[in-house]
Parts: sequence; structure tokens; C-alpha cells
Amino acid sequence: MKVKAKLKNGVVKVKMMAKHAMTTYNQAEKKTGDRENANFITHLSGTVKDKVVIDISTSQFLSKNPIFQFKFKGDEFKSGDEFSMTWVDRKGNTKTKKVKIK
Amino acid sequence: MNRRKFLGYFGSAVALSVVPASLSADDYRKLKPKVWEAKTVDDAIKELFGSAEMIEKGVKIKLPSVASNGGAVPVKFSTKIPAKTVAIFQDANPESAVAVYNVGKYDLTQYSLKIKMGKSGTITVVVEGLDGKLYVGKQSLEVAAGGCEG
Repeated sequence: MKVKAKLKNGVVKVKMMAKHAMTTYNQAEKKTGDRENANFITHLSGTVKDKVVIDISTSQFLSKNPIFQFKFKGDEFKSGDEFSMTWVDRKGNTKTKKVKIK
Repeated sequence: MNRRKFLGYFGSAVALSVVPASLSADDYRKLKPKVWEAKTVDDAIKELFGSAEMIEKGVKIKLPSVASNGGAVPVKFSTKIPAKTVAIFQDANPESAVAVYNVGKYDLTQYSLKIKMGKSGTITVVVEGLDGKLYVGKQSLEVAAGGCEG
């Protein structure tokens, strides 16, 4: 997972890319014969100092290696604070990436 | 007492919408599993919000008019309406829900992501305002090569 978080004028702008195949049910059925082999990111959340700043539930229809951009209020945060991004997929795998806000 | 139970008790006594959005990191796939199985945009909206009565304003969507690659169509969407939830749907794939943003107090509701589109279709973004009303924006695009065959 690649994450960039930048603070400017009280707004934190985040760009991130999760490395994930995002296999849809149809793709799984075609390749393996079983749609239950589908696996995709189902939930992402981002926190700074234990405060939830972004929370997304997702489906199979995000692109492969999905890219997200979003903005959140940065008045309470400063550059150097740690932004932590976590995703969970359908099979229960999870990954967390921590970066410092620039 | 865990959080889910707490919310359960709380929700049964008081309307869930009273819970401050900043408290929550809600997984809508668990909370509303049927949203993700809905085959049409209207059904998905009804499953998620319990209503399909929408006001067509205040939601901006930006996307290419023609996408050469349906596997990764860039979509930008935003709203200035104070929101509780923002959801994005499309009508080009077997099921219609793409993502549901649970808007906390830090969230500025300006998003961009890349989605799969199996064929040409329409992107629908629904914003549930803090006023309890639903606002909607729609935008269509052509897809030259579908993204679901992979």
C-alpha cells in the first residue's frame, strides 16, 4: 500500500493505492469455477491520533489496485502526525500503513 | 460491553441518526449486507437509506465522457452539503453498489477513486444529509472496453 498525506491550509489531502487484485465474483467463477473465491477489499479506514478521519465500505467494483483520494480537516493535526490507513478484504486479510503527514 | 452491543441498545431506544458520526467506523457491508447484493441502483439506494426519495442537487460528479479502459474509470465526486453518508453506485455491473463513505466530522466529502465498469452506464452518487434528506447526482459515460472480464 502506498499512502501520501499532505497538510496545507488546514486541509489534509490523502492519495493512496492499495495493492490488491480485487477479484470479482464473475472473475473468480471464470478462472476457478467457484464464485466464492472472489476476494476484494471490503472496508478501509484512516485515523490520526485515534480519530477516524475516513471510513469507506467498498465492493468488488473498485479497480484492481484501487486508488483513492480524499480530504479531511487538519486544524487539529500538524505535519509530522501519524496517519494510519488500514484495509480489510473479503477473506479477512488486513494491511495497515502508517505515514507521517507532510 | 462491546461497541456493537452498545449501539444496538442505544439504537433501539433512540434513533441511530443521533449517534455523532465522529464516533463511528462503521462497516456498511456488515450493517447493511443487502445493499451489496442489490441488482439495480434504485434497490441499492432503498436498502441503504430506506427510501428512494431524492433531491437532484448539490452533488458534483466528474468523470471522462469516454473511458478507454473500463477496468479503471476515474471518478471524482464531492458535495458541500453537510453529510452523514455518501454512496456511489453504477448500473454497468451485475450489482450496483461501489462504495459507501461514512462521513465523520473531519471528512470534507471530496473524493476520487477508480472503479470497474463492465459496459457504458451511469454513475449515481447519493448524499444523505445531516438534515435526513437524500441528494443525488448522476453522470453517464461510455466505456470502450469493459472492465469485468479481467
